Amino acid sequence: MVVKRIHMEVLVTGLTALAGVVVAGGSLELGVGWTGSGPEAGYFPFYVGLLLALAGTANAVWTMVIHRGESEVFIEFEQAKRLLTFFLPMAAFVIVTIVLGLYVGAALYLFYVAWRQGRYNPFWAAGLGIAFSVGLFVVFDILFRVPLLKGPLEAFLKIY
Amino acid sequence: MENIGLLMQGFQVAITPMHITIMVVGVLLGLVVGVLPGLGAPNGVSLLIPLTFTMDPVSAIILLASMYWGALFGGSTTSILFNIPGEPSSVATTFDGYPMAQNGQSTRALTLAFMSAGFGALVGVVVITLLSTWAADFALRFGAPEYFSVYFLAFCAFIGMGSSAPLKTIISLLIGLALSTVGMDTITGSLRLTFGLNELMGGVSFLVVVIGLFGLGEILMTVQDGLHFRGVASRIDLRDVFRTIAELPRYWATLLRSSAIGTWMGITPGGPTAASFMSYGVARQWSRPGETFGKGRPEGIVAPETADHSAGTCAMLPMLALGVPSSATAAVMMGGLMIWGLTPGPMLFATKPDFVWGLIASMYVANIVAVVLVMATVPMFAALLRIPFAVIGPVIVAICFVGAYTVSNSTFDLWLVLLFGVVGFFFSKLNYPLAPLVLAMVLGHKAENSFHQSMILSDGSLGVFWSNPLVGSIMSLALMLIIVPQLAKLVSRYRNRGTLRSAR
Repeated sequence: MVVKRIHMEVLVTGLTALAGVVVAGGSLELGVGWTGSGPEAGYFPFYVGLLLALAGTANAVWTMVIHRGESEVFIEFEQAKRLLTFFLPMAAFVIVTIVLGLYVGAALYLFYVAWRQGRYNPFWAAGLGIAFSVGLFVVFDILFRVPLLKGPLEAFLKIY
Repeated sequence: MENIGLLMQGFQVAITPMHITIMVVGVLLGLVVGVLPGLGAPNGVSLLIPLTFTMDPVSAIILLASMYWGALFGGSTTSILFNIPGEPSSVATTFDGYPMAQNGQSTRALTLAFMSAGFGALVGVVVITLLSTWAADFALRFGAPEYFSVYFLAFCAFIGMGSSAPLKTIISLLIGLALSTVGMDTITGSLRLTFGLNELMGGVSFLVVVIGLFGLGEILMTVQDGLHFRGVASRIDLRDVFRTIAELPRYWATLLRSSAIGTWMGITPGGPTAASFMSYGVARQWSRPGETFGKGRPEGIVAPETADHSAGTCAMLPMLALGVPSSATAAVMMGGLMIWGLTPGPMLFATKPDFVWGLIASMYVANIVAVVLVMATVPMFAALLRIPFAVIGPVIVAICFVGAYTVSNSTFDLWLVLLFGVVGFFFSKLNYPLAPLVLAMVLGHKAENSFHQSMILSDGSLGVFWSNPLVGSIMSLALMLIIVPQLAKLVSRYRNRGTLRSAR
């Protein structure tokens, strides 16, 4: 299946219009009128949302009218495959990080990508991941005293 | 000249062993960020800001500014040696820089780039030195309506002068404004647009958005294109360096013209990227006949580099004097200033002269430091790009997430970065400009506050924006910036149709 650029254009601009509706709708609850002390809290975001919805819709219509029938491909199959193989480990990294902390998450992520995608020796890849996490720890926790997210491993090792 | 005296005081602040060290560190970090595709100047500065919370503001801004200069230089290195622009603003340098390096003249190409870049930056700093007090004094006369009109002018300038489709720029701006309203409202104290999520009460940090849009978004773009490093030899020959420096005065016209273009585009929100393209285009039109452009013509390197750096430097002027940044990186720095408790704008000159003039003086020093450092480290940073992507890619990604986490120690921000990474990818892919979004996020609160105050002044009438000549002319100029380019397009389209018809 081929995704055409024009379809993506309309989809994305449609989503921005939808975001505008959501913003304007959310502001309506706050009140968008005037009180004795000036505009209400929702006044500014309401009009921003309204304009966003209008601009998104206008762009969708514009795209459909001017560029209709164009057959430029949005993304090649090869490109999509490359993107997914990069994106999925990245998303997994976020989930692992939230459970196990940033240090363990980053080490595992670097290890996995270097091992599976870089085709490195697993020991070398693991060394790379651990070295990176230790480097992070030295720079953030020790040098700059900015603590990063820690998980069960750090609790076990009594590193706070 | 009162400014010269202030500048001398600034040098006393800037030239201390500690600040020179900070400049060296900043420039080196900037070079790393500039060389690596996927890490750019706005994103690099965002990653550093959380680490500067505990620093003294003068040192912090010198660090961030030096990083910016380093990133500008680093972007040119990869453009010339690898045909990969490390920064969007160095795309135009690839046109002639890479062919010249391919012809075996990589030292000449690099020297031309760095020297003209240094020249452009110095012109920019001189302009800042001369104009800043005047601009700040002028801005002291501003009230709420004037401020709103200046913000409005900045937004309109992006729409009218940007290279993207106007509707897409408008969408990008409005998304930024909408994001800036999320969280606790400072005027009424009510929670806005949190949709029941506690994590959104503090608002969406622009740092997280920048790291997502520019960091992850750009690296996703890089991945999609697949990386092909076909680098050329990157040894620096000192004799070639001096020979090229001696050659440079021959391009004085290009240097001056490009500096002027860069200065103009830097002060108005055109930004470095637009400046370098424009300068390249003008150089092509105005140049004397000779070698063709695109095959390694020296002017083709000098023109974009000079304009890029003078624009990048001049972007600091409106940021400091008016509180209106004209490039994405300047917007991020201004956000940093506000986090450190400083208010950019005319009052900054009166209340913190040490800070302002220390920064301006540091720009002179840091740019010289940057030229020397970048020449010395070219082979090292070229080697950085030979690291396989399976290693450097995840490292960049991990650094982006670490940076986002340090903004407010919240795991929710990790999801936001991922989300904005995807948004950034789709937006770049479909040519939505990202800089207006960042600018609108940083300026959103100020724009809203000044709008509120103006509305209170006038009891809700928009007439307040034309109530005196100053605010009226700024507002009219802003509207013209939107309307005139569209009219010009319509007219030229109509004319083209006419000539087509008469040709038949």
